[in-house]
Amino acid sequence: MKIPLEVKSAVAAIGTSVFILVATFTAAGFYRSQVAGQAQAGSQAPAGENLAAAGRRFFFQSCAHCHGQDADGGEDAPSLRKLQISGTHMALVIQSGIKDEMPSFAKKYNQHDTAALVAYLQTLH
Amino acid sequence: MIPWDKLHGAMTHFPIALLLFSTACDFISVTFKKLGFARELRIVSFYALAAAAVASLGAVVSGIALTNGDLWGRGNFGWHHRFVWPAFALLIALAVWRVLVRDTMSRTGLYLYLTLMLLASGLVAAAGYFGGELLLSGGGAP
Repeated sequence: MKIPLEVKSAVAAIGTSVFILVATFTAAGFYRSQVAGQAQAGSQAPAGENLAAAGRRFFFQSCAHCHGQDADGGEDAPSLRKLQISGTHMALVIQSGIKDEMPSFAKKYNQHDTAALVAYLQTLH
Repeated sequence: MIPWDKLHGAMTHFPIALLLFSTACDFISVTFKKLGFARELRIVSFYALAAAAVASLGAVVSGIALTNGDLWGRGNFGWHHRFVWPAFALLIALAVWRVLVRDTMSRTGLYLYLTLMLLASGLVAAAGYFGGELLLSGGGAP
């Protein structure tokens, strides 16, 4: 029985798509672990220090004067309590800033320090 | 340091626009198949789809670099990814199938292909919508 070209092509297409998706997810996982390792190495937070405790320290250094000592918002900045966004999204905001509203902290805090800040913000829920 | 947020914002528009354009060309060529330019539209849609698939690789790589390899997440970020991965897989599959089959598809194959193109367009549009919501809420390029 001769298999039509359309069916053979569909099998090849699904195979290629699955292969690319698996390769993407594998590469992303590898990249993620590599970034986490690098961030840990260059962190300002002492290795033994609790992540959220380090984040609290960074919060009072850089965030509290706008967002308030209790993180419940200031005159020009919103409350950071009960944020309804993911940790990765919080990290993106800290790293990228918000145009005309909040500066980027990418130069001041590396990935691990940002993760510490996010860990602290998540304790405020 | 590579500005992945800006790169992702720039690169992601190519696959979105090209896929939607390709789908539109396909539907116009099928609906108005008696028109003189229907065949040319099919050729344009073919190259637009192939270009969308290639461009999607750049969008995906820049997105992974931007999020440090986080492929899911929560909130708008999670929704963006829930639509992105099926859209990416479907786009690649459709492009490979179209490249292999070219113009020899049967009527059933054509209708199945058009249905899946519509689905891929919807998924890509939804992923783009939630990506835009991330940007507006400060999670993307400043």
